[in-house]
Amino acid sequence: MKSSALTLKITLLATAFLALTTSLVWAHPQAFEQMGVVAPKTVKPAPDFALTDIHGKPVSLGDFRGKTVLLNFWATWCGACKEELPSMERLYQSLKGKGFEIVAISIDRGNQDRVKKYAREYNLSFPILLDPDQKIRKNYYIMGLPTSYLIDPQGQLRGFVSGARTWDHPLSKEIMMSFKNSSAVVKKSRFDND
Amino acid sequence: MIRKTAGFGLSLILATLLFPVLTWAYVGLCCAHCGGNMPLNIPGGGIPETHEFRFKVSQSYMEMGSMRDTTDDISTSSLLGNPATGKFAAVPDEMRMYMTMFGAAYSFTDDFALMIMGNYVRNEMDMKFNTLLTNNSGRDGFTMFSDGFGDTKLLGKLRMYKDDNLAPKMQFSAIFGMSLPTGETDKEFTENPVAGQNGTILPFRMQTSSGTVDPIMGFTFQMIRDPWWMGANIMYEGHWYDNARGYHQGQELWIDGYIMRQVHQRLVLQAQLNYKHEGRYSDEPYEGRVKGHGHTMFNPNNPFTSPLFDPENYGGEKLSLSFGFQVQPFNMHVIEVLATLPIYQNLNGPQLRDSFRIMASYYLELPTKRSRRYVGTKAPKELGF
Repeated sequence: MKSSALTLKITLLATAFLALTTSLVWAHPQAFEQMGVVAPKTVKPAPDFALTDIHGKPVSLGDFRGKTVLLNFWATWCGACKEELPSMERLYQSLKGKGFEIVAISIDRGNQDRVKKYAREYNLSFPILLDPDQKIRKNYYIMGLPTSYLIDPQGQLRGFVSGARTWDHPLSKEIMMSFKNSSAVVKKSRFDND
Repeated sequence: MIRKTAGFGLSLILATLLFPVLTWAYVGLCCAHCGGNMPLNIPGGGIPETHEFRFKVSQSYMEMGSMRDTTDDISTSSLLGNPATGKFAAVPDEMRMYMTMFGAAYSFTDDFALMIMGNYVRNEMDMKFNTLLTNNSGRDGFTMFSDGFGDTKLLGKLRMYKDDNLAPKMQFSAIFGMSLPTGETDKEFTENPVAGQNGTILPFRMQTSSGTVDPIMGFTFQMIRDPWWMGANIMYEGHWYDNARGYHQGQELWIDGYIMRQVHQRLVLQAQLNYKHEGRYSDEPYEGRVKGHGHTMFNPNNPFTSPLFDPENYGGEKLSLSFGFQVQPFNMHVIEVLATLPIYQNLNGPQLRDSFRIMASYYLELPTKRSRRYVGTKAPKELGF
């Protein structure tokens, strides 16, 4: 009898744990689907990186611990990247200071002036890092541009996005903010009430 | 018979290529090939993305003239005279060639693509007569004319080395295939004012085919030093056996070097150095050798009436400079404009030298539902996806 009660408790605890850890996706399945975000099957830590930004300042992924990070890979020769960068800047402006950060990694091979010019031209104020040797790009298995990853405040990979998006869309903001307290129970999405 | 077989074969290949479901979807994903990554006039350039088609239509206009022998320019009038004294009764003065090219390519993998290219050509060659022909015909010359479909090239490009898949700094490919004789080698005079000439065979360059199935092989080296793209292409087209008229074209070798600079996401400027070697024709066609077409008095033992009928007066070495641009006005659409000017020509015997060529190409990218640009790239399982 005691053994049955213990088994039940363990099962309930395990179920609760699973529900908690996968709640992000369960809470936002439609948002993920509509934004074309692929959720991980197994949550893994984002590969660490240490690069310099366009001003020569060293930046690592650890610098953003505690914040939700939209990690974007792009290049100045990529036309599709140009399409999404303005909306990314608008998203950055609206969520800046709310535990959210955008980090854009340019994979241009050694053409730093062009990257700087591009950032000025599009008034990009979020950190732009340089990966001319493609080392970080390869660690993140980038096969096309633009590609983005969603990283939660604990540095875990929570989403993969291939191709350009309208990043200042309300769904996108909702997804970004949902990671803010990802270790706690996530509030129900409006889609759950549909 | 061979044309029918080739036509059937090409239709079959085209049908096979077009079978996958096409889509116009565009998820906004960029890749190394976006917007073209090689000049479109160089065979092997303009390879589509994996599981995508690229269709190409281009129009070129080429002008040739005046006459040149080895590296010396010579006047048409200096070659006119009595054929018995080593001169000619009719000598070309200028040639205009209008060529419409159409092609399709499909990439089966990141490293292998098939291409098919055809063309429709219209040739016009202005001829000058010697005094005798001028008096007999009442005209000092006429314009030779021919038109029709040219030969069809079927090519494969296999990437043998790359240092990176998305943005390679260096890659090396082999090109192989064949040219199928879908054109004609029996084009005849139709508007010659000299009595008895209409219905005789036109000179070699007025024909629209080599008349043989010709192997093509080559190598392409491509390099990127952002924002510069550069490379070289070497290609050989063999003419290994005689066609139905009993001759074969000289062997052909092209070496092209190019450099491109991306000045805008949608604009690439380019310059090319193009070398071509072409051998002489192996012999006269049957009509010349046996029936005496192109010889005085229709006697094959008599001198040629024009340098155009002598198989020795073809080929040589040519070096040209080309410059132009590629622009991508909208996603999936590429336009290329290219102008070519000769800088060195060493020709085998008296023949028309190249004057200039201009070419405009339109290029349509068409992803299928299997294309990365339709489905996006796969989320990596190595990172938990």
